[in-house]
Amino acid sequence: MNPALWISKTGLDAQQTNISVTSNNLANASTVGYKKGRAIFEDLLYQNINQPGGRSSADTTLPNGLMLGAGAKVVATQKNFSQGNVQTTDNSLDVMLEGRGFFEVLLPDGTTAYTRNGQFSLNDEGTIVTSGMGYAIQPEIQIPENAQSITVGSDGQVSVQLMGQAESQVVGQLTVTDFVNPAGLQPMGENLYLETQSSGAPLQGVAGADGLGVIKQGMLETSNVNVTEELVNLIQAQRVYEMNSKVISSVDEMMSYVTQRL
Amino acid sequence: MDHLLYLAMSGAKENMNSLTLRSNNLANANTVGFKADLEQARAMQAFGDGLPSRVFSMTERPGQSFAQGGLMTTGRDLDVAVEGDGWLTVQDAQGGQAYTRMGNLQLSPYGVLQTSNGLNVLDDAGQPIVLPLPLEKISINKDGTIVGRPEGAAPNGMEEFQRIKLVNPDIRSVDKGNDGLFRRKDGQAEPASADVKLVSGALEASNVNVVDEMTNLIRLQRQFETQVKMMQTAQKNDEAHTQLLRLS
Repeated sequence: MNPALWISKTGLDAQQTNISVTSNNLANASTVGYKKGRAIFEDLLYQNINQPGGRSSADTTLPNGLMLGAGAKVVATQKNFSQGNVQTTDNSLDVMLEGRGFFEVLLPDGTTAYTRNGQFSLNDEGTIVTSGMGYAIQPEIQIPENAQSITVGSDGQVSVQLMGQAESQVVGQLTVTDFVNPAGLQPMGENLYLETQSSGAPLQGVAGADGLGVIKQGMLETSNVNVTEELVNLIQAQRVYEMNSKVISSVDEMMSYVTQRL
Repeated sequence: MDHLLYLAMSGAKENMNSLTLRSNNLANANTVGFKADLEQARAMQAFGDGLPSRVFSMTERPGQSFAQGGLMTTGRDLDVAVEGDGWLTVQDAQGGQAYTRMGNLQLSPYGVLQTSNGLNVLDDAGQPIVLPLPLEKISINKDGTIVGRPEGAAPNGMEEFQRIKLVNPDIRSVDKGNDGLFRRKDGQAEPASADVKLVSGALEASNVNVVDEMTNLIRLQRQFETQVKMMQTAQKNDEAHTQLLRLS
C-alpha cells in the first residue's frame, strides 16, 4: 500500500502522544510538586529511492536524488524539573524544597521513591507520612503524642514543643536527595519518582548544603505547568493531527478513484 | 497497447512519490529543528521512432528548505535554538560528524552532553562534551560556551567548560542523510564558525509550512486523478480499436 498512509499514521501517533502528555500536564496543573512533561519527536529514517549522483546515462549523473522519509516518532517524554511557584499554607506539616533535591519515601515493598510533594501528615503512630497513601518519609520521624507544635528548620531539622516544657526537643532530620540527571527518573504516579540507571545514583545530603535546596515550612511548591503554554501546545497538536488525517483521506480518495475508474 | 497508458502510469507513480514526501513533512510539522524537504518533478525524455511524445516524469528531492523555524521559549537550561544560519555538531552512529538544529539537549548519567535521541554533542576539538557532575546550575552562552556552577561552589564560582562546535557550512554543500542528520556532501568535517549564535531556553520549531503542504496535497491529488483519467482514456481508445476490428 502507499507509504503516505503509513507516514501519516506515524504523524497521527506522534500527535496523539503529544496530546496525551499535554492533557496530563493540564490535569496536574494544580498538583503540588508536579513537574511538567513534554514529548520529543524526531524524523524517522529516510529511504533512498534514487541515489543522488547515480548514473542517469553513460556520462551523466543525477544531480538530485529522491529520498523519502518514513514519518515522525516519539523518542522520549521528558520531565522539566524547573522550580514551581510558592503557595503559602501556614500548615506546619507542609514543606517545600526551594532548589534541587527530593524527599525520600519508603514504599511498602521496601524500595525507596522520591518526591517533591511536601504535603505531609501524621499517621496513627505519630510518624510523618505522605498525605495520599501514607508512605513513611525517610528517615522516619516520630512526633510525640503530647507535642504542641512542630517546627521544621531550613536544614530539615524537625523539633517539637512538648507540653509543659520550655525547651523544644529535636525529634529527627529530613534529608534531601539529589540526582545527577533528574530527568532520567521514572515517574510512578502518586507524585513519586523511582531511581533508574539514567538518573544516576541518589546523592543524599543536608538541605541547604552542597547546593541542595533548602526546606521551607508552611509552604508548598505548586506544579510548574504553564497553562498558556499547554493550551498553545494543544492547538498545535490538534491542527497537525487534522492535517495528517487529511493526508490519509486524500490517499484514500485517490485509491478509490483508481479502483472505481479503471 | 498504447504507450499513453505507461506514460500516465509513470505520472501517477511519481505523484504518489511526491505525496509521500509531502506527507513526511506534515508528519514532522511538530518535530523540533526539522527542515522541510522540497520536491520537484523533472521531464525524462525517452524519444524513439515516430513522434517525440515519450516524456516520462521523475520526482526528485532537490534539497531542504533552510528557512528558520519559529522560536518556542521553554525556559529550560539545556534547550538551545540556533538563531539564523548554523548548526550544532553531533556524533552520528558511525562516529563521524553530523549537523542538526535539534537543540533539546540533556545530560547522560555520566555527564555527557547529548541530544534527546542520545547523540553526543561535540566540542570545538571534535570531542564529546563531558561535564563534571554534579552541577547546580548550567547554562549555554550565545556563542555555545557551556558554563556551570559545581554543586556547593560559591555563587561567583561559575566555571567555563568546553564550547559546543557550531558550524556554518554553505547550505548548498550539505545534504540530509537517511537518519535525518545533515552532513557535508564531500564527507569532510566543517571547521567551527564564530558567527553562529545560540538562543538559550528556546527551541526551534519545525519549518514546515503546513498551508503550503496542504495546497500541494490538493494539487497532487488532482494531478493524480488526471493521470488516472488519462489511463481511462487509453482504456477507452483500446476498446474502440477492438470494436472497429470486430467483424460484425
